[in-house]
Amino acid sequence: MSQPPPRDPADLEIARDATYHRAPETLRASVATLVGAAARAESRPRMHRAIGLAAAFAAVAVVTWNVAIFQAAPSRDDMFAHEVLAAHVRSLMAPGRLNDVESSDQHTVKPWFAGKLDFTPPVRDLAADGFPLAGGRLDYVDGRTVAELTYRRRLHAVSVFIWPEPKDGDAAMKERTLSGYSLATWRRNGMRYWAVTDAAPMELTHFVELLEAS
Amino acid sequence: MGASTVLPLGKGEMGRHSEFVQHVMPHLDAAYNLARWLTRNDDDAEDVVQESFVRAFRFFDSLKEDDARPWLLAIVRNTAYTWLRKNRPSDVVALDDTSTIAEDTPTAGHSAPSDSNPEVVLLQSATRKLVNQALEDLPVAFREVLVMRELEDLSYKEIASVAGIPIGTVMSRLSRGRELLRQALELRMRRAS
Repeated sequence: MSQPPPRDPADLEIARDATYHRAPETLRASVATLVGAAARAESRPRMHRAIGLAAAFAAVAVVTWNVAIFQAAPSRDDMFAHEVLAAHVRSLMAPGRLNDVESSDQHTVKPWFAGKLDFTPPVRDLAADGFPLAGGRLDYVDGRTVAELTYRRRLHAVSVFIWPEPKDGDAAMKERTLSGYSLATWRRNGMRYWAVTDAAPMELTHFVELLEAS
Repeated sequence: MGASTVLPLGKGEMGRHSEFVQHVMPHLDAAYNLARWLTRNDDDAEDVVQESFVRAFRFFDSLKEDDARPWLLAIVRNTAYTWLRKNRPSDVVALDDTSTIAEDTPTAGHSAPSDSNPEVVLLQSATRKLVNQALEDLPVAFREVLVMRELEDLSYKEIASVAGIPIGTVMSRLSRGRELLRQALELRMRRAS
């Protein structure tokens, strides 16, 4: 089979005729992860070689200390950020106790919350998008029991905390970093969401977009 | 030991991280495009880009300009060249900028495709394939300036700083690179027809 004749070489326009190679999504994610790890590695020497669990404990200590020293009059968001981060770190520190219900099936996780909470958190699996649901557990934020969903991102964990916030309208996502963790919060359909991860902020943004789109 | 000596918050680091994400990450496509054209291979380009971003983060303090793209591309180029020297040393031969284009290459004798050709899409993809191949076969010194100028739309000055050559050399390599590409394309088109 003969190919049709190509354009005349005299008309060559590289910008039009040559391929602009865009970065694959997988590369985008791996670069974000690498840069996040590099950022954490830079801050690590200051921790006096505290590693592993000790590091996690230190993070919790700092969260508490941070609240006590610097947040004399913290905003509600600041309060939540610290509480939610502490809850996330707590769940990571208890091996085998990451989830009270261990399942990648949203139809298993969702009913598990029934009867334990006075609201029904939306539960969605995002395995197809690279964030498989790992399970759910209960935690305690702002003096109330909240739902925590955990997702996996390769070696990282993403926690999503959900509790009712009966206000009109939705609130756009706000992001921040705290002690090396990425956090995002938003309100949708009367629920307040907080997502926390040790993965890079870009990955968290991507995750939230997927969650909101599903 | 008090908490303050255990972890002084690392706010500098995380501020730096979010600045990096904000200013450098948006140029990932540009980084990949250059790495892909330099290595001519998807997997190798990904390796080069990953290493480049880790380096870029380490050297982030050296970024002085508002636009991070030329700065990042210089790091990508260095990383790619280091990779090429190690893995494909024949790709990185010194270029004599004074030599002239070989005179024995044939001149245009190809008739333009008919406008009535209905297979426009096929034609474009056929052209693209030939142009990509011809560009990949150019010596890297010409290839990189063409990619930076034509696909990345960098200024002569920016290309000069990325490639570490005088602006005059950028311009002469661009002009010779275009000519070499045109000739290579003619050759390929005649072979294809």
